[in-house]
Amino acid sequence: MNNFDDAMLDLTRRELFQSAGMGIGAAALSSLLMAEGTYAAETSNRMDLSPQVGQFAPKAKNVIFLHMIGAPSHLDLFVDKPKLREMDGEKCPEELFEGQRFAFLRGHPTMYGSTFDFQKHGESGHTFSDVLPNLAAVADELAFIETMHTDQFNHGPAQLVFQTGFQRFGRPCMGSWASYGLGSLNQNLPAFVVLITGSVGGAGNSMWGSGFLPTIYQGVEFRSSGDPVLFLSNPNDISAADRRKVIEVINSRNLEQFKDVGDDEIKTRIGQYEMAFRMQSSVPELMDISQEPDHIHALYGSDPSKSGFANNCLLARRLVERGVRFVQLFDQGWDHHGGLVNGLKNKAKQVDQPVAGLIKDLKQRGLLDETLVIWGAEFGRTPMVQGDRKSAGRDHHKDAFCVWMAGGGIKGGSRYGQTDEFGYHPVENAVTVPDFHATVLHLIGLDHEQLTYRYQGRDFRLTDVSGSVLTELIA
Amino acid sequence: MLAGFSPLRAGDTINFKEQVWPILQASCFGCHGPDDQQGQLRLDARAVTLHGGIGGPAVVPGKPRESLLIQRIRSDDDEQRMPLEDDPLSDGDVDVLVKWIEQGAQWPDGIGSAAKPPPKHWSYTSPERPALPSVEDSDWASNAIDLFVLSQLESHQITPSPEAQKRRLIRRLSLDLLGIPPSVNEVERFALDERPDAYARLVERYLASPLYGERWARPWLDLARYADSNGYQADQYREVWPFRDWVVDALNRDMPYDQFTVEQIAGDLLPNTTLAQKIATGFHRLTTCNVEAGVDPEANRVEQVVDRVNTTGMVWLGTTFECMQCHNHKYDPFTQKEYYQVFAYFNQTPLEVEGNGVSYNFVGPKMDLPLTAKQQAHHNAVTERLVKANVKLDEARERILAGLPQWETDLLESLVNEPKWHLLQIDEFRSKNGAGHRMLEDGSVLITGERPDIDTYELQISTTTDAITGFKLETLTHDELPGKGPGRFEAARPNFVLNEFVLTDVEGNPIALEGAIADYSQPNFDVKNAIDGDLKTAWAIATEFHKPHVAEFLTSKAIHSDGKKQLKLRLEMNYGGGRTIGRIRLSAMTGARSMQGVSDAIVAIVKTPVAERKPAQTKQLTDYYLKQSEEVTKLKKQVDAVKKELADVKPTTTLVMVEDQSRETRVLKRGNFKSPGESVLAGTPRVLNGLPDEAPQNRLGLANWIVDRSNPLTARVAVNRWWAELFGGGIVATEEDFGTQGDRPTHPELLDYLAVEFMESGWSMKHIHRLIVHSSTYRQTSKTRDDLKNIDPNNLLLARGPRFRLDAEQIRDNALQISGLLQHKMGGPPVYPPQPNGLWRHVGRNAPKYATSTGTDRYRRGIYTVWRRSAPYASFTNFDAPDRAACVVRRARTNTPLQALTLLNDVAFLEMARAFGERIHTLPSGSRDEKIVFAFQTAVSRYPTAREMEILQEVFEIELTKFKEDAGRAKKIVDESQQSLKDVLELATWIQIGHILLNLDETISKG
Repeated sequence: MNNFDDAMLDLTRRELFQSAGMGIGAAALSSLLMAEGTYAAETSNRMDLSPQVGQFAPKAKNVIFLHMIGAPSHLDLFVDKPKLREMDGEKCPEELFEGQRFAFLRGHPTMYGSTFDFQKHGESGHTFSDVLPNLAAVADELAFIETMHTDQFNHGPAQLVFQTGFQRFGRPCMGSWASYGLGSLNQNLPAFVVLITGSVGGAGNSMWGSGFLPTIYQGVEFRSSGDPVLFLSNPNDISAADRRKVIEVINSRNLEQFKDVGDDEIKTRIGQYEMAFRMQSSVPELMDISQEPDHIHALYGSDPSKSGFANNCLLARRLVERGVRFVQLFDQGWDHHGGLVNGLKNKAKQVDQPVAGLIKDLKQRGLLDETLVIWGAEFGRTPMVQGDRKSAGRDHHKDAFCVWMAGGGIKGGSRYGQTDEFGYHPVENAVTVPDFHATVLHLIGLDHEQLTYRYQGRDFRLTDVSGSVLTELIA
Repeated sequence: MLAGFSPLRAGDTINFKEQVWPILQASCFGCHGPDDQQGQLRLDARAVTLHGGIGGPAVVPGKPRESLLIQRIRSDDDEQRMPLEDDPLSDGDVDVLVKWIEQGAQWPDGIGSAAKPPPKHWSYTSPERPALPSVEDSDWASNAIDLFVLSQLESHQITPSPEAQKRRLIRRLSLDLLGIPPSVNEVERFALDERPDAYARLVERYLASPLYGERWARPWLDLARYADSNGYQADQYREVWPFRDWVVDALNRDMPYDQFTVEQIAGDLLPNTTLAQKIATGFHRLTTCNVEAGVDPEANRVEQVVDRVNTTGMVWLGTTFECMQCHNHKYDPFTQKEYYQVFAYFNQTPLEVEGNGVSYNFVGPKMDLPLTAKQQAHHNAVTERLVKANVKLDEARERILAGLPQWETDLLESLVNEPKWHLLQIDEFRSKNGAGHRMLEDGSVLITGERPDIDTYELQISTTTDAITGFKLETLTHDELPGKGPGRFEAARPNFVLNEFVLTDVEGNPIALEGAIADYSQPNFDVKNAIDGDLKTAWAIATEFHKPHVAEFLTSKAIHSDGKKQLKLRLEMNYGGGRTIGRIRLSAMTGARSMQGVSDAIVAIVKTPVAERKPAQTKQLTDYYLKQSEEVTKLKKQVDAVKKELADVKPTTTLVMVEDQSRETRVLKRGNFKSPGESVLAGTPRVLNGLPDEAPQNRLGLANWIVDRSNPLTARVAVNRWWAELFGGGIVATEEDFGTQGDRPTHPELLDYLAVEFMESGWSMKHIHRLIVHSSTYRQTSKTRDDLKNIDPNNLLLARGPRFRLDAEQIRDNALQISGLLQHKMGGPPVYPPQPNGLWRHVGRNAPKYATSTGTDRYRRGIYTVWRRSAPYASFTNFDAPDRAACVVRRARTNTPLQALTLLNDVAFLEMARAFGERIHTLPSGSRDEKIVFAFQTAVSRYPTAREMEILQEVFEIELTKFKEDAGRAKKIVDESQQSLKDVLELATWIQIGHILLNLDETISKG
């Protein structure tokens, strides 16, 4: 909005208030402000969510990032290593544990071949174990990184690295950087939304925190029980009409105040009260998945009467449909130190259909091309067994694990990086977390070297001082 | 190498131009020459070479060993050795350079560049008291601050703004110094106070108020990353609030900032350190701590030390040390080695996590505080009760024990008719759920085959014995049983759980049993449970496995057989998991056990003559006897309860710093603690002031160095932060960075004036605050001015007063004060004001519960609200409060719809609106309009304009009318406890108005 319009608008408002005598019941005020919509953007000069253009033409408009908290075993889901099966039960080769520090493994551990059956799928020939039949059916949409590695082997610090690029608290997560770089495409919902299944991982809310970026860029959690957004609903059954009245009075008074002292922040606040009111209807509308037809619920395995990962996948689609650019899902319960066979089967069952459903649904709506779907975790798991073989598990492993991406700008069916015969070390094209971050930012049109924020005298980046875009994965 | 090269001989004089210059040119100028000056060093310029780059002088004439140039070309470390990523210099070349330096490093004029070393960055030179500038409008100036501000304004031809109206001014001052708004009375008193020193009196009163320390503790607690939990997955609660109270108290006492600093960094190392000084060291114990399973305790410790170093740099020096962890600072003159020299000061603290490979715990050093007077009084009272209870118990014991000899005599008499045992024949055995069995020769039955989850054994037995007084059930071992039995549960734990032992005659008439003893009963599975008729209780034998056990059940009256008698026995075992008995033998008892339930062991003791009893036996007997007394048991329970109460009077603990072992500190290559490099000694960055001579080689030395008068940063950084807190932005806008990449000060002389004034006042924070709030600059009206919109939109020149939104805690405190709910209790454990349910689920183990406070604790200032890093108080988060996992110098100040939702719908704010409404409603004198004025004044400290008055009158009338039309609506708005008040509909209307007023931008802003 240019200055002329701005001035006109002010004039209009002034007249409105003069003629309407204080503006009580001035319903026109709300419609006027609603139509205008972009208050935050036009008035604030330091921190705003107005839509921004990145450095590149974006391949994707939206990101749906599925983080499996606890770290699933890549060796039982996506990476079939016959040699590992062959060595099942044997002492692990010395070079695999000499000088290594594990979270739990001590002594000389033994190898553990996967007990799951693996098949190649699609034209791409991506490998999946039989616990992911639905995902296998969309194999050709997925691009795999087999050689992700990180430098932290405890959950908390590794989750911070995966989300913020740094193992200590205080840095913004990828969603925050994206919101900072791109702003928002809608005026009724936050730019960056977080959906959580189960409890949250060790790094807590810092995984969707904005760190040193203004808090306007932090993820807003939409909760599956209680108020979906904190403080969203009117307490004590106060009606929407009553609330409308209250907001109108507040805003008309704030407008008077603005005329008196002239602080632009007041205008912003007027806009935010309007947006708050709109969110009171837009968020419940969004969260109400009962409006979805049966075949969609069948596709995701979602159930409006419950909450869970399937519902969150469906919500993710509804969010991007409504212009939310970055949707972060967390699903907890993948830390299989023991009981891996049943545990992993269970977890796979919970996510397989919803994730595949999400990809298919986005595709059938023509949204997959503009939406980047990412599936990954903070690290992988060891080819060595942890605990009693009867209830075998695997320990944390930081040197190689899988992340896959699909949709916007991704070369479906491609694969990057190769690990050794135990899926233990990358032997070709190792990928760092900053490489991964750089690639995601690139796909949404942001140059990871240009997307900086000046703090403590330094231009900070998500990728700090490294990171290369994995062009091989980009269509 | 050069052709014609010949080795040097001692005594050869080096020719700079012919011998040295070519070496430098060939090997060094690429990175340290005209085009690039890595580390701010150029070796093609004499002045720069001698001065050096960020690492210090490259060449010290006459002293090759002290010359960095030589050190670096000779280094063994690939990451240090120059030229980097190139072949090392030949020995001959090194020789040339060494000799050249030995001989005085002659560098004739005219060779190379005339470049001079860059001037020292402004903030690395100690501040000096600047001369006061002269200004035209000297009348405007109230103190020196104004001269600096005005001289700049005048040079831009800008006039300052007039002073704010008194009512706005007192509100601003109150929010700034106390963190809460003034009461209506206070405002009016001040507005009508015509004395010339009215404002000065107000300032003094506020500076002396205990609320001052609470208000100013908040920003310090952000710096200190103060929280009540450890962070990370477990995020356990930990007690460290005495540190928070220490800060409040220190600020209230205006503890000199140098002392304030020394005590927090090194209070534990001061001579004759006091309790308070140790509490102060909690500052650096506020780091996060990861106790997740599998964590490396040393890695965690190193992360904590790193955090302490970085936080120290940011808080006191406005310097980002963080970059130097992995490499020399890119822009500022600090080296990686210097980072680890500072690191060395903090490297002597112990591990804070301990684990066994599976679970890990926080074990960091804690200190017990002495009991408070209240705790002590309680402790004394409980101790007194304990003494009394013990006296009573002892008295009862003595009295009861007097009866023991008689009891022994009775027992011995009853034993004359000692019981005899007669094996019972098992005629039939049936397992209800299909287990098999086999009769054994000794008359027992072995249960075999199928092991049902639960089972009932039905036995038919016959006997010719007459006058049966009891039955014996033996559960025997056998090789065929898992782990030999006697139970059938798994071999490692062959337990059984017998719920009920039911005896009947053949017709099914029950035979009453009234006593049961066993050789052993598992805790909580006493044998008496087997005859209590309750199928939920049982007898079991863990962990006395692999051996036979026996239980005896006594009949209420003797059973006569009349020759031959048949009986039925049912053994109910419904615990599940196959915990059934594996082998059974039954006997009948004749004779008397008149002292029912006395075990064989006790009988044996009683049979032993008193003189021959061992002390342990005597004790066993008296213990047994006393245990039979209900009175003694009851009194003992009372004593135990009081003992527990006494144990619960625990001192408060708090986290403190302690030195552990002396660790060698080494540079960590690329910041990785697994790649140690060269070893370093504790030291401070070269570019800043030198260490004071007497400074010890520990944290105390570092602290003394920080607050040394010659430290160029400490005072500037502190006064700048306060300035920013009061004006919304610092004189140096980048409060956290005073380095070359930070913003330059808008008013450099003003900054230095304040810094010097600060130090020379004895580091008095209140002195600086007094100075600032007295200035005309501070007292200007905050209204924006059209003439400034283009010249100075961000008010950097300070031609008007500050106006900005309050911070998270202030918004709460402000609303509590307006509503009349605010409780002024200071200090103590954190409190739990209302918040939505379910927010504390982001947790692993040891999850504390959010137990919402009731009573006064519900309405205390924000600084006392519990701070859980994984889930800070939600409304604070919405108003830009950080999670306090790391040091925060500057909070963002955003403006979001979530903030609107918080003020509109958070139950905490709704409670305040209700209280505010009631406050207005119950105003003793009160026409509608008087009440409106009162409400408005309370919220924003001024009278409403005519127009504002009209708005609120209209709101009142419309709302009241609507409530009258629909009284049900009013009920929803009014709290239950308020329903009994008079005129509920009017109350509801005032609550609405109160709620609106609490939401106004003016209410949540300082202006």
